[in-house]
Amino acid sequence: MQEKVEAEHILSMNSVEVLYDNVMLAIKGVSVKVPKGEMIALLGSNGAGKSTTLKAISGLLKAERGRISRGEVTFQGTDITEVLAQNRVGMGICHVIEGRRVFEHLTPDENLTAAAPRGMSRSALNAENEKIYDYFPRLAERRNSQAGYLSGGEQQMLAIGRALVTQPKLLMLDEPSLGLAPFLVEEIFGILQKINQEEGVSVLLVEQNALAALEIVSQGYLIENGRVVMHGTAEALKSNSDIQEFYLGGGEETDFHNVKHYSRRKRWLS
Amino acid sequence: MDWVFLSELAINGALTGLLYSLFAIGLVLIYKASSVPNLAQGGLTMVGAYVVLALSHDAGLPLWLAIPLAAVIMFGLGFGIERVALRRLAGRPVVMILMLTLGLDIFLRGITLAIWGGTSRSVDLGVSYEPLFLGDIFVSRIHLVGAGVALALFVAFMLFFRTRTGIKLRAIADDYMASWSVGISVERGVGLSWALASVVAVAAGVIWGEIQGVDQALSLLLLKGLTVAVLGGLDSILGAVIAGIILGVVENVGADFLDPLVGGGSRELIVAAVLILTVMIRPHGLFGRHDIERV
Ligand SMILES: Nc1ncnc2c1ncn2[C@@H]1O[C@H](COP(=O)(O)OP(=O)(O)OP(=O)(O)O)[C@@H](O)[C@H]1O
Ligand SMILES: [Mg+2]
Repeated sequence: MQEKVEAEHILSMNSVEVLYDNVMLAIKGVSVKVPKGEMIALLGSNGAGKSTTLKAISGLLKAERGRISRGEVTFQGTDITEVLAQNRVGMGICHVIEGRRVFEHLTPDENLTAAAPRGMSRSALNAENEKIYDYFPRLAERRNSQAGYLSGGEQQMLAIGRALVTQPKLLMLDEPSLGLAPFLVEEIFGILQKINQEEGVSVLLVEQNALAALEIVSQGYLIENGRVVMHGTAEALKSNSDIQEFYLGGGEETDFHNVKHYSRRKRWLS
Repeated sequence: MDWVFLSELAINGALTGLLYSLFAIGLVLIYKASSVPNLAQGGLTMVGAYVVLALSHDAGLPLWLAIPLAAVIMFGLGFGIERVALRRLAGRPVVMILMLTLGLDIFLRGITLAIWGGTSRSVDLGVSYEPLFLGDIFVSRIHLVGAGVALALFVAFMLFFRTRTGIKLRAIADDYMASWSVGISVERGVGLSWALASVVAVAAGVIWGEIQGVDQALSLLLLKGLTVAVLGGLDSILGAVIAGIILGVVENVGADFLDPLVGGGSRELIVAAVLILTVMIRPHGLFGRHDIERV
Protein backbone atom coordinates (compact mmCIF):
# COMPACT_ATOMS: atom_id res chain seq x y z
CA MET A 1 0.00 0.00 0.00
CA GLN A 2 2.67 2.44 1.06
CA GLU A 3 4.83 1.46 -1.94
CA LYS A 4 2.03 1.99 -4.38
CA VAL A 5 1.50 5.52 -3.12
CA GLU A 6 5.24 6.20 -3.43
CA ALA A 7 5.25 5.22 -7.07
CA GLU A 8 2.61 7.77 -7.86
CA HIS A 9 4.59 10.73 -6.64
CA ILE A 10 5.99 12.73 -9.50
CA LEU A 11 8.25 14.55 -7.06
CA SER A 12 9.59 13.66 -3.71
CA MET A 13 11.95 15.64 -1.64
CA ASN A 14 13.47 13.84 1.31
CA SER A 15 14.93 15.63 4.34
CA VAL A 16 16.56 18.29 2.21
CA GLU A 17 18.89 20.79 3.78
CA VAL A 18 20.06 23.82 1.84
CA LEU A 19 23.11 25.94 2.52
CA TYR A 20 23.70 29.34 0.98
CA ASP A 21 27.30 30.50 0.71
CA ASN A 22 28.26 27.33 2.60
CA VAL A 23 27.16 28.87 5.90
CA MET A 24 23.56 30.00 5.85
CA LEU A 25 21.27 27.05 6.56
CA ALA A 26 18.04 28.11 4.87
CA ILE A 27 15.99 24.90 5.06
CA LYS A 28 16.58 22.23 7.64
CA GLY A 29 15.33 18.88 6.47
CA VAL A 30 12.27 19.56 4.34
CA SER A 31 10.28 16.63 2.93
CA VAL A 32 7.61 17.40 0.39
CA LYS A 33 5.83 15.05 -1.97
CA VAL A 34 3.76 15.91 -5.00
CA PRO A 35 1.37 13.17 -6.16
CA LYS A 36 1.17 12.93 -9.93
CA GLY A 37 -1.47 15.18 -11.43
CA GLU A 38 -2.32 16.96 -8.21
CA MET A 39 -1.97 20.51 -6.99
CA ILE A 40 -0.07 21.03 -3.75
CA ALA A 41 0.44 24.24 -1.82
CA LEU A 42 3.47 25.31 0.17
CA LEU A 43 2.44 27.88 2.74
CA GLY A 44 4.44 29.92 5.18
CA SER A 45 5.49 33.41 6.12
CA ASN A 46 8.35 35.60 4.92
CA GLY A 47 11.74 33.95 5.14
CA ALA A 48 10.27 30.54 6.00
CA GLY A 49 12.15 28.82 3.19
CA LYS A 50 9.45 28.39 0.56
CA SER A 51 11.41 29.85 -2.34
CA THR A 52 14.51 27.97 -1.27
CA THR A 53 12.51 24.73 -1.40
CA LEU A 54 11.42 25.47 -4.97
CA LYS A 55 14.96 26.39 -5.99
CA ALA A 56 16.25 23.14 -4.56
CA ILE A 57 13.79 21.33 -6.82
CA SER A 58 14.46 23.40 -9.97
CA GLY A 59 18.21 23.62 -9.46
CA LEU A 60 18.24 27.41 -9.52
CA LEU A 61 19.95 27.35 -6.12
CA LYS A 62 23.26 27.19 -7.87
CA ALA A 63 22.77 30.61 -9.41
CA GLU A 64 22.55 32.02 -5.89
CA ARG A 65 25.52 30.15 -4.51
CA GLY A 66 23.29 27.72 -2.67
CA ARG A 67 23.51 23.94 -2.59
CA ILE A 68 21.75 20.91 -1.18
CA SER A 69 23.93 19.76 1.70
CA ARG A 70 21.78 16.83 2.79
CA GLY A 71 18.87 14.77 1.52
CA GLU A 72 17.80 14.21 -2.06
CA VAL A 73 15.24 15.21 -4.64
CA THR A 74 13.74 12.59 -6.91
CA PHE A 75 11.63 13.35 -9.95
CA GLN A 76 9.69 10.53 -11.60
CA GLY A 77 11.82 8.09 -9.68
CA THR A 78 15.18 9.56 -10.75
CA ASP A 79 17.53 11.24 -8.30
CA ILE A 80 18.03 14.74 -9.72
CA THR A 81 19.96 16.28 -6.83
CA GLU A 82 23.05 16.75 -9.01
CA VAL A 83 21.33 17.53 -12.33
CA LEU A 84 21.90 20.99 -13.88
CA ALA A 85 18.95 23.38 -13.80
CA GLN A 86 18.68 23.57 -17.59
CA ASN A 87 18.50 19.79 -17.83
CA ARG A 88 15.78 19.65 -15.18
CA VAL A 89 13.70 21.91 -17.40
CA GLY A 90 14.25 19.38 -20.16
CA MET A 91 13.03 16.61 -17.83
CA GLY A 92 9.80 18.52 -17.21
CA ILE A 93 10.33 20.69 -14.14
CA CYS A 94 9.62 24.37 -14.62
CA HIS A 95 9.87 27.02 -11.93
CA VAL A 96 8.01 30.30 -12.32
CA ILE A 97 10.28 32.40 -10.15
CA GLU A 98 9.24 34.99 -7.61
CA GLY A 99 8.43 38.48 -8.83
CA ARG A 100 7.23 37.68 -12.36
CA ARG A 101 10.52 38.41 -14.10
CA VAL A 102 9.30 38.39 -17.70
CA PHE A 103 11.86 39.33 -20.36
CA GLU A 104 10.98 43.01 -20.27
CA HIS A 105 12.43 44.13 -23.57
CA LEU A 106 10.90 41.27 -25.50
CA THR A 107 7.29 41.01 -26.64
CA PRO A 108 5.04 38.30 -25.16
CA ASP A 109 5.45 36.36 -28.41
CA GLU A 110 9.21 36.56 -28.05
CA ASN A 111 9.03 35.64 -24.37
CA LEU A 112 7.31 32.43 -25.39
CA THR A 113 9.79 31.78 -28.18
CA ALA A 114 12.71 32.26 -25.80
CA ALA A 115 11.40 29.41 -23.65
CA ALA A 116 10.93 26.98 -26.55
CA PRO A 117 12.85 23.76 -25.94
CA ARG A 118 15.60 22.99 -28.39
CA GLY A 119 14.21 20.97 -31.25
CA MET A 120 10.63 22.22 -30.94
CA SER A 121 9.44 22.83 -34.48
CA ARG A 122 8.08 26.18 -35.54
CA SER A 123 4.61 24.76 -36.05
CA ALA A 124 4.63 23.06 -32.67
CA LEU A 125 5.69 26.35 -31.10
CA ASN A 126 2.93 28.23 -32.88
CA ALA A 127 0.36 25.71 -31.72
CA GLU A 128 1.71 25.98 -28.18
CA ASN A 129 1.49 29.79 -28.31
CA GLU A 130 -2.12 29.70 -29.48
CA LYS A 131 -3.00 27.31 -26.68
CA ILE A 132 -1.41 29.67 -24.16
CA TYR A 133 -3.22 32.68 -25.59
CA ASP A 134 -6.45 30.68 -25.28
CA TYR A 135 -5.79 30.25 -21.59
CA PHE A 136 -4.88 33.92 -21.25
CA PRO A 137 -6.95 35.90 -23.77
CA ARG A 138 -5.89 39.17 -22.10
CA LEU A 139 -2.34 38.42 -23.13
CA ALA A 140 -3.26 37.76 -26.74
CA GLU A 141 -4.29 41.37 -27.21
CA ARG A 142 -0.85 42.54 -26.21
CA ARG A 143 1.23 39.86 -27.80
CA ASN A 144 3.33 42.31 -29.79
CA SER A 145 3.93 45.03 -27.22
CA GLN A 146 6.93 45.21 -24.91
CA ALA A 147 6.44 42.86 -21.98
CA GLY A 148 7.93 45.35 -19.52
CA TYR A 149 4.91 47.57 -20.02
CA LEU A 150 2.27 44.91 -19.37
CA SER A 151 0.26 45.16 -16.16
CA GLY A 152 1.28 43.06 -13.17
CA GLY A 153 -1.44 40.52 -13.85
CA GLU A 154 -0.55 40.24 -17.51
CA GLN A 155 3.10 39.77 -16.62
CA GLN A 156 2.19 36.97 -14.24
CA MET A 157 0.12 35.34 -16.96
CA LEU A 158 3.04 35.68 -19.35
CA ALA A 159 5.43 34.16 -16.81
CA ILE A 160 3.09 31.17 -16.48
CA GLY A 161 2.64 30.92 -20.24
CA ARG A 162 6.38 31.08 -20.75
CA ALA A 163 6.77 28.17 -18.34
CA LEU A 164 4.13 26.15 -20.20
CA VAL A 165 6.14 26.41 -23.43
CA THR A 166 8.84 24.29 -21.80
CA GLN A 167 6.28 21.42 -21.65
CA PRO A 168 6.43 20.91 -17.89
CA LYS A 169 5.16 17.86 -16.09
CA LEU A 170 5.63 19.67 -12.80
CA LEU A 171 4.89 23.37 -12.71
CA MET A 172 6.15 25.28 -9.68
CA LEU A 173 4.93 28.79 -8.99
CA ASP A 174 6.43 31.15 -6.45
CA GLU A 175 3.81 33.54 -5.09
CA PRO A 176 1.91 34.20 -8.30
CA SER A 177 -0.68 36.26 -6.39
CA LEU A 178 1.84 38.77 -5.07
CA GLY A 179 0.62 42.32 -5.52
CA LEU A 180 -2.42 41.37 -7.57
CA ALA A 181 -6.02 42.39 -6.99
CA PRO A 182 -8.23 39.59 -5.58
CA PHE A 183 -10.26 39.23 -8.78
CA LEU A 184 -7.05 38.70 -10.74
CA VAL A 185 -5.78 36.15 -8.25
CA GLU A 186 -9.05 34.30 -8.68
CA GLU A 187 -8.75 34.44 -12.46
CA ILE A 188 -5.16 33.20 -12.49
CA PHE A 189 -5.82 30.44 -9.97
CA GLY A 190 -8.81 29.35 -12.01
CA ILE A 191 -6.60 29.07 -15.06
CA LEU A 192 -4.00 27.11 -13.11
CA GLN A 193 -6.71 24.67 -12.13
CA LYS A 194 -7.78 24.38 -15.75
CA ILE A 195 -4.19 23.74 -16.87
CA ASN A 196 -3.86 21.10 -14.16
CA GLN A 197 -7.02 19.35 -15.26
CA GLU A 198 -6.66 19.65 -19.02
CA GLU A 199 -2.97 18.95 -19.35
CA GLY A 200 -2.41 16.75 -16.33
CA VAL A 201 0.39 19.02 -15.18
CA SER A 202 1.22 18.58 -11.50
CA VAL A 203 1.45 21.88 -9.65
CA LEU A 204 3.46 22.96 -6.63
CA LEU A 205 2.20 26.35 -5.54
CA VAL A 206 4.02 28.59 -3.08
CA GLU A 207 1.66 31.10 -1.53
CA GLN A 208 1.26 33.50 1.34
CA ASN A 209 -2.34 33.92 0.34
CA ALA A 210 -3.45 30.74 2.10
CA LEU A 211 -7.14 31.32 1.65
CA ALA A 212 -6.96 31.46 -2.13
CA ALA A 213 -4.41 28.66 -2.39
CA LEU A 214 -6.32 26.20 -0.20
CA GLU A 215 -9.34 26.61 -2.47
CA ILE A 216 -7.59 25.03 -5.45
CA VAL A 217 -5.09 22.52 -4.04
CA SER A 218 -5.67 19.05 -2.63
CA GLN A 219 -2.97 19.18 0.04
CA GLY A 220 -0.83 21.78 1.72
CA TYR A 221 2.41 21.96 3.62
CA LEU A 222 3.12 24.68 6.12
CA ILE A 223 6.75 25.72 6.39
CA GLU A 224 8.14 27.73 9.26
CA ASN A 225 11.78 28.49 9.94
CA GLY A 226 13.05 26.08 7.33
CA ARG A 227 10.96 23.12 8.55
CA VAL A 228 7.64 21.56 7.64
CA VAL A 229 5.44 22.15 10.67
CA MET A 230 2.16 20.94 9.27
CA HIS A 231 0.95 18.79 6.38
CA GLY A 232 -2.57 17.81 5.52
CA THR A 233 -5.39 17.90 3.04
CA ALA A 234 -6.71 21.30 2.08
CA GLU A 235 -9.88 20.56 4.00
CA ALA A 236 -8.00 19.64 7.15
CA LEU A 237 -5.82 22.73 6.93
CA LYS A 238 -8.77 24.99 6.34
CA SER A 239 -10.50 23.69 9.44
CA ASN A 240 -7.37 23.69 11.59
CA SER A 241 -7.86 26.19 14.35
CA ASP A 242 -4.33 27.64 14.18
CA ILE A 243 -4.51 28.12 10.46
CA GLN A 244 -7.94 29.65 10.78
CA GLU A 245 -6.88 32.02 13.44
CA PHE A 246 -3.70 33.27 11.89
CA TYR A 247 -3.95 32.65 8.19
CA LEU A 248 -7.53 32.73 7.18
CA GLY A 249 -8.77 35.33 9.59
CA GLY A 250 -12.28 35.62 10.90
CA GLY A 251 -13.96 35.37 7.53
CA GLU A 252 -11.99 38.20 5.99
CA GLU A 253 -8.89 37.60 3.97
CA THR A 254 -5.68 37.80 5.93
CA ASP A 255 -2.32 36.89 4.59
CA PHE A 256 0.91 36.21 6.39
CA HIS A 257 2.26 39.68 5.90
CA ASN A 258 -0.15 40.93 8.51
CA VAL A 259 0.44 38.33 11.13
CA LYS A 260 2.87 38.83 13.96
CA HIS A 261 5.66 36.35 13.62
CA TYR A 262 6.43 35.49 17.23
CA SER A 263 2.97 34.32 18.14
CA ARG A 264 2.87 31.81 15.30
CA ARG A 265 6.29 30.50 15.99
CA LYS A 266 5.44 29.92 19.62
CA ARG A 267 2.54 27.72 18.70
CA TRP A 268 4.18 25.48 16.14
CA LEU A 269 7.72 25.19 17.26
CA SER A 270 7.36 24.75 20.98
CA MET B 1 32.28 78.29 -47.67
CA ASP B 2 33.35 75.55 -50.05
CA TRP B 3 30.39 73.19 -50.14
CA VAL B 4 32.08 70.55 -52.26
CA PHE B 5 34.97 70.41 -49.84
CA LEU B 6 32.63 70.33 -46.87
CA SER B 7 30.59 67.46 -48.30
CA GLU B 8 33.79 65.63 -49.10
CA LEU B 9 34.80 65.98 -45.46
CA ALA B 10 31.38 64.86 -44.31
CA ILE B 11 31.15 61.86 -46.63
CA ASN B 12 34.62 60.61 -45.85
CA GLY B 13 33.95 61.25 -42.20
CA ALA B 14 30.79 59.16 -42.40
CA LEU B 15 32.68 56.32 -44.10
CA THR B 16 35.42 56.39 -41.47
CA GLY B 17 32.69 56.53 -38.86
CA LEU B 18 31.12 53.35 -40.24
CA LEU B 19 34.49 51.71 -39.76
CA TYR B 20 34.30 52.71 -36.11
CA SER B 21 30.82 51.17 -36.12
CA LEU B 22 32.31 47.98 -37.53
CA PHE B 23 34.47 47.81 -34.44
CA ALA B 24 31.72 48.95 -32.07
CA ILE B 25 29.28 46.22 -33.19
CA GLY B 26 31.55 43.70 -31.47
CA LEU B 27 31.40 45.72 -28.25
CA VAL B 28 27.62 45.89 -28.40
CA LEU B 29 27.25 42.13 -28.90
CA ILE B 30 29.18 41.43 -25.71
CA TYR B 31 27.58 44.24 -23.76
CA LYS B 32 24.13 42.86 -24.51
CA ALA B 33 24.94 39.47 -23.02
CA SER B 34 27.34 40.38 -20.21
CA SER B 35 26.53 44.01 -19.33
CA VAL B 36 30.18 45.01 -19.60
CA PRO B 37 32.01 46.95 -22.27
CA ASN B 38 34.60 44.48 -23.47
CA LEU B 39 37.93 46.23 -23.00
CA ALA B 40 39.61 43.39 -24.88
CA GLN B 41 37.81 44.12 -28.15
CA GLY B 42 40.87 46.07 -29.39
CA GLY B 43 43.13 43.15 -28.57
CA LEU B 44 40.73 40.73 -30.26
CA THR B 45 40.64 42.91 -33.37
CA MET B 46 44.41 42.92 -33.54
CA VAL B 47 44.56 39.16 -33.03
CA GLY B 48 41.95 38.76 -35.76
CA ALA B 49 44.17 40.67 -38.18
CA TYR B 50 47.28 38.71 -37.17
CA VAL B 51 45.52 35.39 -37.60
CA VAL B 52 44.51 36.41 -41.12
CA LEU B 53 48.13 37.38 -41.84
CA ALA B 54 49.42 34.14 -40.38
CA LEU B 55 47.08 32.11 -42.59
CA SER B 56 47.63 34.14 -45.75
CA HIS B 57 51.16 35.57 -45.77
CA ASP B 58 52.79 32.97 -43.53
CA ALA B 59 50.91 29.81 -44.45
CA GLY B 60 50.34 30.88 -48.04
CA LEU B 61 46.57 30.52 -48.21
CA PRO B 62 44.67 32.88 -50.50
CA LEU B 63 42.87 35.70 -48.68
CA TRP B 64 39.39 34.51 -49.67
CA LEU B 65 40.16 31.33 -47.74
CA ALA B 66 42.28 32.84 -44.98
CA ILE B 67 39.63 35.33 -43.84
CA PRO B 68 36.75 32.85 -43.33
CA LEU B 69 39.17 30.41 -41.73
CA ALA B 70 40.34 33.13 -39.35
CA ALA B 71 36.70 33.88 -38.58
CA VAL B 72 36.15 30.23 -37.64
CA ILE B 73 39.27 30.20 -35.45
CA MET B 74 38.26 33.42 -33.72
CA PHE B 75 34.71 32.09 -33.24
CA GLY B 76 36.27 29.21 -31.33
CA LEU B 77 38.50 31.58 -29.38
CA GLY B 78 35.47 33.61 -28.29
CA PHE B 79 33.73 30.50 -26.98
CA GLY B 80 36.98 29.49 -25.28
CA ILE B 81 37.24 32.80 -23.44
CA GLU B 82 33.79 32.27 -21.91
CA ARG B 83 34.57 28.67 -21.01
CA VAL B 84 37.98 29.29 -19.43
CA ALA B 85 37.63 32.71 -17.86
CA LEU B 86 34.13 34.17 -17.74
CA ARG B 87 32.22 31.18 -16.44
CA ARG B 88 34.12 31.35 -13.17
CA LEU B 89 32.99 34.93 -12.69
CA ALA B 90 29.27 34.24 -13.03
CA GLY B 91 27.41 36.02 -10.26
CA ARG B 92 30.35 38.26 -9.32
CA PRO B 93 30.15 42.04 -9.53
CA VAL B 94 30.21 43.36 -13.05
CA VAL B 95 33.33 45.42 -12.32
CA MET B 96 35.25 42.15 -11.86
CA ILE B 97 34.24 41.04 -15.34
CA LEU B 98 35.32 44.44 -16.63
CA MET B 99 38.73 44.00 -15.02
CA LEU B 100 38.94 40.55 -16.54
CA THR B 101 38.46 42.00 -20.01
CA LEU B 102 41.18 44.55 -19.30
CA GLY B 103 43.53 41.77 -18.25
CA LEU B 104 42.61 39.87 -21.40
CA ASP B 105 43.45 42.89 -23.54
CA ILE B 106 46.88 43.24 -21.94
CA PHE B 107 47.42 39.52 -22.44
CA LEU B 108 46.45 39.62 -26.11
CA ARG B 109 48.75 42.57 -26.75
CA GLY B 110 51.61 40.81 -25.02
CA ILE B 111 51.14 37.55 -26.84
CA THR B 112 50.89 39.17 -30.29
CA LEU B 113 54.03 41.16 -29.57
CA ALA B 114 55.82 37.98 -28.50
CA ILE B 115 54.73 35.99 -31.56
CA TRP B 116 54.67 38.53 -34.35
CA GLY B 117 56.94 41.32 -33.07
CA GLY B 118 56.40 45.03 -33.26
CA THR B 119 56.96 45.85 -36.92
CA SER B 120 53.92 46.87 -38.87
CA ARG B 121 52.72 44.52 -41.62
CA SER B 122 50.15 45.08 -44.29
CA VAL B 123 47.18 42.91 -45.17
CA ASP B 124 47.10 43.76 -48.87
CA LEU B 125 43.49 43.13 -49.69
CA GLY B 126 44.10 44.18 -53.27
CA VAL B 127 41.70 47.11 -53.10
CA SER B 128 42.95 49.82 -55.43
CA TYR B 129 44.25 53.05 -53.99
CA GLU B 130 43.22 54.90 -57.16
CA PRO B 131 40.98 57.73 -56.04
CA LEU B 132 37.32 57.25 -56.71
CA PHE B 133 35.32 60.31 -57.69
CA LEU B 134 31.62 60.58 -56.97
CA GLY B 135 30.95 63.70 -59.00
CA ASP B 136 33.45 66.15 -57.63
CA ILE B 137 33.90 64.32 -54.38
CA PHE B 138 36.87 62.10 -53.72
CA VAL B 139 36.34 59.00 -51.61
CA SER B 140 38.69 56.24 -50.56
CA ARG B 141 37.83 52.84 -51.99
CA ILE B 142 38.95 50.86 -48.97
CA HIS B 143 36.79 53.03 -46.73
CA LEU B 144 33.88 52.38 -49.03
CA VAL B 145 34.49 48.63 -48.86
CA GLY B 146 34.78 48.75 -45.07
CA ALA B 147 31.59 50.78 -44.73
CA GLY B 148 29.83 48.19 -46.89
CA VAL B 149 31.08 45.41 -44.61
CA ALA B 150 29.84 47.31 -41.56
CA LEU B 151 26.39 47.78 -43.06
CA ALA B 152 26.24 44.14 -44.15
CA LEU B 153 27.08 42.99 -40.63
CA PHE B 154 24.49 45.38 -39.25
CA VAL B 155 21.79 43.86 -41.42
CA ALA B 156 22.96 40.34 -40.64
CA PHE B 157 22.76 40.93 -36.90
CA MET B 158 19.38 42.64 -37.10
CA LEU B 159 18.08 39.53 -38.81
CA PHE B 160 19.92 37.23 -36.42
CA PHE B 161 18.27 38.82 -33.38
CA ARG B 162 14.88 37.86 -34.83
CA THR B 163 15.78 34.16 -35.03
CA ARG B 164 15.06 31.82 -32.16
CA THR B 165 18.70 31.76 -31.07
CA GLY B 166 18.85 35.54 -31.33
CA ILE B 167 15.71 35.91 -29.21
CA LYS B 168 17.24 33.62 -26.58
CA LEU B 169 20.34 35.84 -26.54
CA ARG B 170 18.16 38.90 -26.01
CA ALA B 171 16.36 37.06 -23.21
CA ILE B 172 19.71 36.39 -21.56
CA ALA B 173 20.54 40.08 -21.87
CA ASP B 174 17.32 40.84 -20.01
CA ASP B 175 17.46 38.41 -17.10
CA TYR B 176 19.91 35.58 -16.36
CA MET B 177 17.81 33.99 -13.63
CA ALA B 178 14.62 33.97 -15.67
CA SER B 179 16.59 32.52 -18.59
CA TRP B 180 17.87 29.66 -16.50
CA SER B 181 14.37 29.07 -15.16
CA VAL B 182 13.07 28.22 -18.63
CA GLY B 183 16.06 26.10 -19.56
CA ILE B 184 18.09 28.58 -21.60
CA SER B 185 21.79 27.90 -21.26
CA VAL B 186 23.06 31.32 -20.24
CA GLU B 187 26.65 30.10 -20.40
CA ARG B 188 26.33 29.00 -24.02
CA GLY B 189 24.59 32.25 -24.89
CA VAL B 190 27.34 34.38 -23.39
CA GLY B 191 29.90 32.19 -25.15
CA LEU B 192 28.06 32.70 -28.43
CA SER B 193 28.07 36.47 -28.00
CA TRP B 194 31.84 36.41 -27.45
CA ALA B 195 32.26 34.14 -30.44
CA LEU B 196 30.25 36.48 -32.67
CA ALA B 197 32.13 39.53 -31.37
CA SER B 198 35.37 37.74 -32.20
CA VAL B 199 34.19 37.19 -35.76
CA VAL B 200 33.34 40.88 -35.99
CA ALA B 201 36.89 41.52 -34.75
CA VAL B 202 38.25 39.67 -37.79
CA ALA B 203 36.27 41.92 -40.13
CA ALA B 204 37.36 45.06 -38.31
CA GLY B 205 40.94 43.81 -38.06
CA VAL B 206 41.22 43.13 -41.78
CA ILE B 207 39.74 46.48 -42.86
CA TRP B 208 41.63 48.57 -40.31
CA GLY B 209 44.77 46.49 -40.87
CA GLU B 210 44.55 47.36 -44.56
CA ILE B 211 44.16 51.05 -43.75
CA GLN B 212 46.76 51.56 -41.04
CA GLY B 213 48.85 48.37 -41.09
CA VAL B 214 48.78 45.50 -38.65
CA ASP B 215 50.63 46.27 -35.45
CA GLN B 216 50.02 47.02 -31.79
CA ALA B 217 48.33 50.32 -32.64
CA LEU B 218 45.36 48.34 -33.97
CA SER B 219 44.28 47.62 -30.41
CA LEU B 220 43.92 51.36 -29.74
CA LEU B 221 40.83 51.36 -31.94
CA LEU B 222 39.12 50.48 -28.67
CA LEU B 223 39.05 54.15 -27.70
CA LYS B 224 37.06 55.33 -30.67
CA GLY B 225 35.04 52.14 -30.81
CA LEU B 226 34.04 52.58 -27.19
CA THR B 227 33.09 56.20 -27.78
CA VAL B 228 30.82 55.13 -30.62
CA ALA B 229 29.30 52.31 -28.60
CA VAL B 230 28.59 54.62 -25.65
CA LEU B 231 27.11 57.31 -27.88
CA GLY B 232 24.94 54.67 -29.55
CA GLY B 233 23.76 53.35 -26.19
CA LEU B 234 26.06 50.33 -25.63
CA ASP B 235 23.38 47.74 -26.26
CA SER B 236 22.02 48.91 -29.59
CA ILE B 237 23.49 47.78 -32.87
CA LEU B 238 21.50 50.39 -34.74
CA GLY B 239 22.86 52.89 -32.21
CA ALA B 240 26.42 51.80 -32.98
CA VAL B 241 25.89 52.37 -36.70
CA ILE B 242 24.30 55.80 -36.35
CA ALA B 243 26.71 56.92 -33.63
CA GLY B 244 29.63 55.84 -35.81
CA ILE B 245 28.42 58.01 -38.66
CA ILE B 246 27.86 60.94 -36.29
CA LEU B 247 31.26 60.65 -34.66
CA GLY B 248 33.00 60.25 -38.02
CA VAL B 249 31.36 63.34 -39.49
CA VAL B 250 31.80 65.49 -36.38
CA GLU B 251 35.41 64.43 -36.07
CA ASN B 252 36.31 65.04 -39.70
CA VAL B 253 34.46 68.31 -40.19
CA GLY B 254 35.24 69.58 -36.68
CA ALA B 255 38.94 68.85 -37.01
CA ASP B 256 39.08 70.79 -40.25
CA PHE B 257 37.74 73.86 -38.44
CA LEU B 258 39.62 73.40 -35.20
CA ASP B 259 43.02 72.17 -36.33
CA PRO B 260 44.13 75.55 -37.71
CA LEU B 261 43.04 77.16 -34.44
CA VAL B 262 44.60 74.76 -31.95
CA GLY B 263 47.44 73.59 -34.18
CA GLY B 264 46.55 69.90 -34.50
CA GLY B 265 45.35 67.18 -32.17
CA SER B 266 41.77 68.34 -32.29
CA ARG B 267 40.48 64.92 -33.46
CA GLU B 268 41.32 63.40 -30.11
CA LEU B 269 39.77 66.35 -28.33
CA ILE B 270 36.56 65.97 -30.29
CA VAL B 271 36.35 62.25 -29.54
CA ALA B 272 37.02 62.90 -25.87
CA ALA B 273 34.37 65.62 -25.78
CA VAL B 274 31.79 63.32 -27.38
CA LEU B 275 32.50 60.53 -24.90
CA ILE B 276 32.48 62.75 -21.84
CA LEU B 277 29.42 64.74 -22.86
CA THR B 278 27.48 61.60 -23.70
CA VAL B 279 28.13 60.09 -20.31
CA MET B 280 27.25 63.36 -18.58
CA ILE B 281 24.20 64.40 -20.55
CA ARG B 282 22.77 61.23 -21.98
CA PRO B 283 24.15 58.20 -20.16
CA HIS B 284 21.97 55.77 -22.10
CA GLY B 285 23.28 57.13 -25.38
CA LEU B 286 21.11 57.71 -28.40
CA PHE B 287 19.41 54.34 -28.51
CA GLY B 288 20.33 52.62 -25.25
CA ARG B 289 17.47 51.08 -23.40
CA HIS B 290 16.50 52.16 -19.95
CA ASP B 291 15.33 49.67 -17.45
CA ILE B 292 11.61 49.72 -17.69
CA GLU B 293 9.93 51.20 -14.68
CA ARG B 294 6.20 50.99 -14.54
CA VAL B 295 4.36 53.31 -12.24
N1 LIG C 1 20.64 33.86 -1.96
C1 LIG C 1 20.60 33.77 -0.62
N2 LIG C 1 21.73 33.87 0.11
C2 LIG C 1 21.70 33.78 1.46
N3 LIG C 1 20.58 33.57 2.17
C3 LIG C 1 19.42 33.44 1.50
C4 LIG C 1 19.37 33.54 0.08
N4 LIG C 1 18.08 33.40 -0.32
C5 LIG C 1 17.37 33.22 0.81
N5 LIG C 1 18.16 33.24 1.90
C6 LIG C 1 17.72 33.06 3.30
O1 LIG C 1 17.09 31.81 3.41
C7 LIG C 1 15.93 31.90 4.22
C8 LIG C 1 14.72 31.42 3.45
O2 LIG C 1 14.48 32.30 2.36
P1 LIG C 1 13.39 32.05 1.25
O3 LIG C 1 13.59 33.06 0.19
O4 LIG C 1 13.41 30.63 0.85
O5 LIG C 1 12.06 32.37 2.06
P2 LIG C 1 10.57 32.48 1.54
O6 LIG C 1 9.76 31.56 2.37
O7 LIG C 1 10.49 32.32 0.09
O8 LIG C 1 10.19 33.97 1.97
P3 LIG C 1 9.31 35.08 1.19
O9 LIG C 1 7.91 34.79 1.50
O10 LIG C 1 9.75 36.35 1.81
O11 LIG C 1 9.63 34.99 -0.25
C9 LIG C 1 15.81 33.35 4.64
O12 LIG C 1 16.35 33.47 5.94
C10 LIG C 1 16.69 34.10 3.67
O13 LIG C 1 17.27 35.20 4.28
MG1 LIG D 1 10.07 33.54 -1.44
